[in-house]
Amino acid sequence: MVRFEDAGFRYGSGPFVFQDATFHLEPGSFHFVLGASGAGKSSLLKLMYLALSPTLGRVSLFGRSVSELTRNELANMRRRIGVIFQDFRLLDHLSAMENVALPLRVSGQHDERVQQHVIELLAWVGLAEQLQALPPTLSGGEQQRVAIARAVIGRPSLLIADEPTGNVDDRIAVRLLYLFEELNKMGTTVVIATHNEGLAARFAQPILRLQDGQVRYVAPGYRRSFSLARGSGS
Amino acid sequence: MASAHLDVPFDRDGSARFLPWLIGFMVYLAALSLVSALAMNKILDRWDSGLAGQLTLQIPPSQPTEPLDRRERRLDRAIEILTSTAGVTGAVVLDPADMNKLLVPWLGEGALEEDLPLPDLIAVQLDPSAPPDLEELQFRLAEAVPGIESDGHQAYLARLLSLTRSIQIGAAVVVLLVGLSAVLAVVFVTNTGLSIHRHVIEVLHMIGAHDDYVAQQFQRYAFKLGLRGGFLGLVLAVPTVLLVGRQFDASDVTLLPNLALSPVDWAAVALLPLIAAVIAMMTARFTVLRTLVQLL
Repeated sequence: MVRFEDAGFRYGSGPFVFQDATFHLEPGSFHFVLGASGAGKSSLLKLMYLALSPTLGRVSLFGRSVSELTRNELANMRRRIGVIFQDFRLLDHLSAMENVALPLRVSGQHDERVQQHVIELLAWVGLAEQLQALPPTLSGGEQQRVAIARAVIGRPSLLIADEPTGNVDDRIAVRLLYLFEELNKMGTTVVIATHNEGLAARFAQPILRLQDGQVRYVAPGYRRSFSLARGSGS
Repeated sequence: MASAHLDVPFDRDGSARFLPWLIGFMVYLAALSLVSALAMNKILDRWDSGLAGQLTLQIPPSQPTEPLDRRERRLDRAIEILTSTAGVTGAVVLDPADMNKLLVPWLGEGALEEDLPLPDLIAVQLDPSAPPDLEELQFRLAEAVPGIESDGHQAYLARLLSLTRSIQIGAAVVVLLVGLSAVLAVVFVTNTGLSIHRHVIEVLHMIGAHDDYVAQQFQRYAFKLGLRGGFLGLVLAVPTVLLVGRQFDASDVTLLPNLALSPVDWAAVALLPLIAAVIAMMTARFTVLRTLVQLL
């Protein structure tokens, strides 16, 4: 599903955010990405959701090296990835319904079908009464649910969430993670970045830990981390 | 679900507010230039059809007091040659009284006969489909009637043709320059829009939008602005054309043509807003597609 081979990344000519990252996330897996603030979690996720290209090494998604993809192929691949951004990135001038429908619209799906899916999904995340609300009129939690609905409307194979629990209290954070677990059980590969180690510890899922510019793998149930610098599996 | 509306909130930035006005001026100037070009064509057609197929022969009197019968004999010889020439469909000797009437406004009453001996003029009609060999005809006439001069109007027509072509080229250059300015304005507005709405475009890309989808957002907006501006220009141009046309009609100058446009001419003018909108649309599209590759 996601394969990093000796991958490294830096912005421009600045220092490397991380280097020598080698790991493979199997289809249907669930991983947390942990690390202190500024450790490079978001950069790692951006490589996964194709917002950035690796400076070094190779990143492959769905069996294809992303460096070899054309712009249209990249766009097609992004349609298979659902992303929940830390700042939600909802379009303020569009209603909740229109925001959620956006991924289907850009992929050219018919309006009636889009509308039906959107209403069902917004009801599923508890926003059946807020279909026409504009994002600025919604609370942070409601905006986050709209963002989640937008990320999953296209039934993505890979769901990536960047600090999805950053703006909510622990109770809602746990509920959110259960929601992601449900999606994972339905076959979606899930990657969640968080700085909340306690929260991640409540779920028996493998961890990718970013520390000192290195990506380390922590298997479920293991407290001690070890480096994934060369050839380790998921 | 509002599929008709745009995902990019163009109405929230004012960068494109002046574009309809600019396109409006472009269409206004283009309409006037087009009408000028059509008018020039009319002038050309009129002069061409009026003068082509005609030949004017002039026989000056050999001396101011030349007897009338000698002049008539020379006219008869010329007419004889003309009527026996294939390709000549008619030859009429102009009445001296008619010529006097034409000259009175310039020379005054009574000053003609004595002071200004007028030449005899013959208006010759030629068959445009099978005209005679003019050189050969002129040679035969010169042999039979010494001093005869002919004017086929070709040089006059050529100068007029050159003048009207220059005016038409000038009009085309104006349209081209104004069109180029409008294209540059659309490029500027589109680049500004791409910059202002970069966050929206990033989101669209992240959820799988192709460059073409983003370009469609901009091109639809540019088309709308172009059409709006185009109609504005047309609304301004139509009364201008009608007013100028009325001035032409009222001027009573026979050289100037009637500016009444045919339905086909009006259709060409009415198409200008659509043409402007399509140019704006295509410019926006190519600008977005070119810029996105560098931007994201």
